[in-house]
Amino acid sequence: MDWKNYMKYFTNNQNLKVNMGYTSWRKKIRVIFFLGILGILGTSLLCLNFGVVSIQPRVIFSILSHRSAESTNYLIIWQLRIPRIIMAILAGIALSTVGAAFQGILRNPLADPYILGVSAGAALGACIGIALEYISGYYLTFYLPLFSFLGAIFSLFLVYKSSKVSLSEGSSGLLLGGVAITFLFSALITILLAFSKSELHSMLFWLMGDLSTASWNKISIIVLPVLLGCFLIFFSSLDLNALALGEEEALHLGVNTSKLRVRIFITGSLIIASVVSFTGIIGFVGLIIPHITRLLVGPDHRIMLPASAFLGAIFLILCDTLARFIIAPTEIPIGAITASIGAPLFIYLLKRGYQ
Amino acid sequence: MPINNNILTLKEIDFSYNHQHKTLSNINFNVARGEFWGIIGPNGSGKTTLLKIISGILKPNKGRVFFQNQDLNNLSRGEIAKLISLVPQDTWVSFNFKVKEIVFMGRLPYIARWKGETLEDYRISKEAMEKTQSLPLAEKNIFHISGGERQRVFLAKALAQTPKLLLLDEFASHLDLNYQYEMLKLLKNALKDEGLTIISVFHDLNLASISSHRLLLLKEGKIEKVGIPEEVLTSENLQRVYGMKPILIKHPKSQVPQILL
Repeated sequence: MDWKNYMKYFTNNQNLKVNMGYTSWRKKIRVIFFLGILGILGTSLLCLNFGVVSIQPRVIFSILSHRSAESTNYLIIWQLRIPRIIMAILAGIALSTVGAAFQGILRNPLADPYILGVSAGAALGACIGIALEYISGYYLTFYLPLFSFLGAIFSLFLVYKSSKVSLSEGSSGLLLGGVAITFLFSALITILLAFSKSELHSMLFWLMGDLSTASWNKISIIVLPVLLGCFLIFFSSLDLNALALGEEEALHLGVNTSKLRVRIFITGSLIIASVVSFTGIIGFVGLIIPHITRLLVGPDHRIMLPASAFLGAIFLILCDTLARFIIAPTEIPIGAITASIGAPLFIYLLKRGYQ
Repeated sequence: MPINNNILTLKEIDFSYNHQHKTLSNINFNVARGEFWGIIGPNGSGKTTLLKIISGILKPNKGRVFFQNQDLNNLSRGEIAKLISLVPQDTWVSFNFKVKEIVFMGRLPYIARWKGETLEDYRISKEAMEKTQSLPLAEKNIFHISGGERQRVFLAKALAQTPKLLLLDEFASHLDLNYQYEMLKLLKNALKDEGLTIISVFHDLNLASISSHRLLLLKEGKIEKVGIPEEVLTSENLQRVYGMKPILIKHPKSQVPQILL
């Protein structure tokens, strides 16, 4: 189908907003993208105004529209605040999309890259990478996501082995295994960092997450794996929907469930690894955001995955601004903010019996 | 390969879960197009396992399953999904989908992932809900409807798959009498109007006798008897399989055998 035909197909379908009682998902997804991008832009512009140095909104505007020449303010906006906001957006998209996908694949609303130990595995991998960098003297920053990825896959493997259940059962045994692995890996990170020199990032960075080291360089490394990975997961939406009816039902609907599981776990680990290697462990985002999104737009993954990505991005921009702002000039790790919102919700979900 | 009116042929099927104890052994039978088959037998006789062999979820250790003279092994899951659909016994759903969304999932085997659904998919889903009288439930959430309604919704989903063969796993097991009666009526209509073939596992022998053209009686993984209800539900057969002598009477309307304790 060439481009013109495709456009015709697309526009023809605009007429079928409500048909046979069904709303066209194309229409829904356009609304989600419109609101989502608007929300991210609005939140970003608002949060640009917060920081240790106070800069007038008027000045920010003129800097953004390139009417102001190089100055300290220009550097603060373009080299500090904007990269940090973009890092928050990428991390938010990554954590919420993967959280939603893991919940779908395990049929358990408590699953999340943090709870499953994937984040901790990725962080440990990155720490080992940094340690190697110091020992060997080679510049390894570009390869940090790779170390993280290996760590993430390794932790998934351990969780799977330790829980003794098949992944298809998606039982809470897997989550308990994940919690244990998270504890173990966090301890290993602490030990590793205690041995290392003080110029390494602080321990808090790896264990509680921090966006203060964001830079254009780091963004350029992770932007492709994160966005492409999320796109790939989005293409499995219908299969994830089918899986909500159960393993066998999904098979009866023609979904190759074991391939789907491998695909989601590998892609998810890659996305999480990319983000964690530069932000540390930011917990509970992948748990809260998909849950709220489901309440807002329903559980259909075709709508829910992009909506949850947008909401996650907005949520992390806000959390990071809070982290910078509450007791400025001292910063709070962003993971502390997300955890203080996420942990109570986790308990609430536990008490409500997973629904 | 036989060329005939059979939609399904099972040939010398052996299956075991753990290689020691055979769950099914030497299963042979042919199902003709348009028939309603009931699979009966005591608990643990291999009824549900047999259903999973037919739908290709489990692969037999020995023997072959032919669907419309095609070996099931040569078909992908996606191709099988267009031919065979199933109404499961367990209708637990992990997220709170709307009823119309659940029914729509029956169209999944037909939807290209990069293109999305067409009007046709909406139309077939709606028709499936009409046929099963679940259209009034369309906007309701699956967590908030009763077990009987749920089973109807899953039947609608299975019909939206527009299969040639419909499999049911104890559809009436925990339904009230009125829902049992309704489901049975819906299935009979589907059989007549759609040219479907139906194979259902039954726990309730009387319901099996009333619904089915043919019954297949299993005992410890072997076929004890296949035939019309009058041939299968005899007191000798029941004594051999269930180890008790029941009282058999004829249904006053349809004349099929019914069992009293």
